[in-house]
Amino acid sequence: MRLVFVVNDAAVEIEAVAEDMTLVDLLRDLLGLTGTKRGCESRTCGACSVLVDGRLTRACRTTAQDVESRHVTTIEGLRGPDGDLSDLQNAMLDHGAVQCGYCTPAMVVAAEALLRRNPSPTRAEIRSAINGILCRCTGYQQIVDAIEATSRGRRAARSSGETASTAHSGSSQ
Amino acid sequence: MTKLKYVGSSNLRNVDGIEKVTGQTRYVGDMTVPHMFVAKVLRSPVPHALLTELDATPALEIPGVRAVVTAADFVDQGNYGWPIKDAYILAHRKVRFVGEPIAVVAADNAAAAQAGVDAIVVRYDTLPVVSDPLRALEADASLIPEVSPTGRGNLCNTHLVRNGDPDPLLAAAPALFEGTYDLPHQEHAYLETEGALAIPEPDGGVTVYVNVQSPHINRNNAAMVLGLPVESVRIIQPPVGGAFGGKDDVLYQTTAQVAKLALLTGRPVRLVLSRTESMAASYKRQAMRIHLKLGAESDGTLRAARADLIVDSGAFASTTPLSSWRATMHAAGGYRYDAVQVDMRTVYTNNGYSGAFRGFGNTQATAAIELAIDELAANLGRDPLDFRLQNCLRRGDLTMTGAPLGSTIGLADCLEWVRNRSEWTSKRATYDAQPADAERRYGIGVACYFHGIGLGGEGVDFATATLRVEADHSLTLTSGLTDFGQGSRTIFTLVAAEMLGVTMERIRVLRPDTYTAPDSGPTVASRASVVGGNAVRVATSKIAAMLDMSAADLLGCEPEQLVRDGEQYVGPDEEPATFEEVVDHARELGFQLSAQGRWQVPEIEWDFERGTGVPYFGYVFGAQVAEVEVSRRTGRTRVVKMWAAHDGGRILHPTGALGQMYGGIAQGLGYALMENFRFENGIPQALDFDRYRIPRANDMPEIEGTYIETHLPEGPYGAKNLAEPVMIGAAPAIGNAFAHATGVRIRGFPLPRVAQRK
Repeated sequence: MRLVFVVNDAAVEIEAVAEDMTLVDLLRDLLGLTGTKRGCESRTCGACSVLVDGRLTRACRTTAQDVESRHVTTIEGLRGPDGDLSDLQNAMLDHGAVQCGYCTPAMVVAAEALLRRNPSPTRAEIRSAINGILCRCTGYQQIVDAIEATSRGRRAARSSGETASTAHSGSSQ
Repeated sequence: MTKLKYVGSSNLRNVDGIEKVTGQTRYVGDMTVPHMFVAKVLRSPVPHALLTELDATPALEIPGVRAVVTAADFVDQGNYGWPIKDAYILAHRKVRFVGEPIAVVAADNAAAAQAGVDAIVVRYDTLPVVSDPLRALEADASLIPEVSPTGRGNLCNTHLVRNGDPDPLLAAAPALFEGTYDLPHQEHAYLETEGALAIPEPDGGVTVYVNVQSPHINRNNAAMVLGLPVESVRIIQPPVGGAFGGKDDVLYQTTAQVAKLALLTGRPVRLVLSRTESMAASYKRQAMRIHLKLGAESDGTLRAARADLIVDSGAFASTTPLSSWRATMHAAGGYRYDAVQVDMRTVYTNNGYSGAFRGFGNTQATAAIELAIDELAANLGRDPLDFRLQNCLRRGDLTMTGAPLGSTIGLADCLEWVRNRSEWTSKRATYDAQPADAERRYGIGVACYFHGIGLGGEGVDFATATLRVEADHSLTLTSGLTDFGQGSRTIFTLVAAEMLGVTMERIRVLRPDTYTAPDSGPTVASRASVVGGNAVRVATSKIAAMLDMSAADLLGCEPEQLVRDGEQYVGPDEEPATFEEVVDHARELGFQLSAQGRWQVPEIEWDFERGTGVPYFGYVFGAQVAEVEVSRRTGRTRVVKMWAAHDGGRILHPTGALGQMYGGIAQGLGYALMENFRFENGIPQALDFDRYRIPRANDMPEIEGTYIETHLPEGPYGAKNLAEPVMIGAAPAIGNAFAHATGVRIRGFPLPRVAQRK
């Protein structure tokens, strides 16, 4: 099939792609976006998580025809406004939420999806939002800390009228 | 002493964090190079069989297939292994476990490679499967290794401790406890599977990018089986997506396989294992059966212990002879005894194969002794935490092996901390009084541990590091010890920055590469911070001395008169010189601004034949408390909260250290509640994350953790180790909390759901 969709705010056209090619293969092998990881074949590890029209999606469960005309956001599209690290990415580093880094892109994507949907999540809600992504290094606690701190920071920025260095890309639907 | 800028600071970021948090990190599976072939592996579907026929040539007739290798393509059929040379790069003459690699095919693409694998003709003449370690020891059991290393069938090796004679003390003890514990296999489940990319070099050599823990050992091994001089094999470690002990032997195989295919085809070859392959082909934590006999006085004073361990090594020895030694050295726990004897036997079976995994044998040993100590305390009517405080190792005590403890002993402090923070006493009383038929019952349990620092008697424990000042005044640091997510690169950087009085941003740590980094032995045993950090300290001190001389010369004073203001050097006249000026002047003086540092752990002496001596030069300690909720209806156990305290000496990087603790507890929680890599008649029962469950965010409780800071004189800035031992208290603490909640004592993991319904 001929595929037209939007990846990280840029229109992408691929002339010939198998309809059932998975989105993870498409992103990694055709578009070179290797921040989206493969971790299993049983569709359970969540390392390939991306946003499709803003919704958290496992790229291994999604095919080329599923994303026709849609907006896909990967880790490569989740930077702060100036191309710097987003507040969430900074918080991940400050809270020690990154060890081997293999699940980190998916965690960042999942956290952005959560915070856009629910700006004031409880720790339990944060845990549920990342429950689909396996991490073997961190025990999740510092990831939860980082997401909680980001949510606090964004609320404070909003109430004082400032713009937080929120990741801006990929929210268009 | 001057105030430290980086050591102990809570504001440190991991030096490779930015590339990871933006998705730019290139793991080996993310590397694609021009004209690259991909490889696929033929693996044994049976646990034990003779390979009566193996014809790989049909694979070469498949379009797109470029080469295929079998054992015949390697020197000495690819025989390798340390400390026992009993394994093969590809199966030779027989297969010994499900998942053992037999042949590897390189092709233009994955589909062709798989078709090539499917075309290989192989016939298995099945042999009796040996799955029960006790059965493996019987005289008529089918022999698994080609040659028995002990001359006694499937007995792989033995270890012992002889510290006095416990038998008369046990016979006379008013309180006696005896129990047998079954600790299962555990899968590392690093999120990044094993992978290697080999690139042939014009000079006949080969470069391999591979996510291995120990690049130099891998290089030596690959050179041996390829028949190349070691200089012709270059191993580069790209960023590694988790290891936990699991990324050595299995990648020695992978490395040699792709290297050979690259040499045969003259093209780059990449092999990345699928999850199912990874789970079948990689080594596991050893399953152990541990029989314990403990004797105490009526007042609770522990007197004597006897332990017998049977360790399932599986098809190959791998590092099991070493981890079983560590299990032997810790089998009676961190307590004072008058006499202890331990006997350990490692056994070959067809249950996959086992090797290094976080805790390195002490995870299983501590699980058994801590469940047993709890039961003994209960039999004596004692509070289990009080009982531990009464008997735990303190200053001046000898360990269970009869050896001195070293100078820093924080065990009692750790126990006190978890008791206070968890509100142990009141919760214990509340849960004691809860109705027996409540739908949700709660319990609180404790476990503590001691853990020898470094390799001990496992081998020469050294590391080497180099540091040089570049033309642009930046610094380049190398170490043969590696970082697979635990933060060693950050630790090395902060130690060098602290000593040299420069910013961490000025220092760049090269990726481990056998062409640039000196051999430092294996990155195992949580030794990177202490041993690797000390090597960095030694290298840095040499550069610092040259720069001090330069600065003193520049500022017209003695080196002792210099003070530092940020990176600047300041002389007695308060005139500053920048770091750059001092470097440039040092070069004018003719100094070569590069240095190498080597550090070796103080010598220890263990008599392996007699089971006596000093196994380690020092120890770390810790205690953990778990609070659990058990549902009567579902039988499900949920960990509500955990508290953890660890004596890791001086903590260099507190945020990273807590991350190690939380992650270690998650692996311990998984071991207690859900992970159980089971073999049935040699067949692995779970080869994906659906059936082999590891903890998810909702499975994990909130953890309150701390480090009880002591000061190890030998450690860099007083640091001890922590990454492995922080996991080993979790599983038994959860098991003991489960017993408190349900009244059901368990003798192994994972917690049985059936028993929970009682």
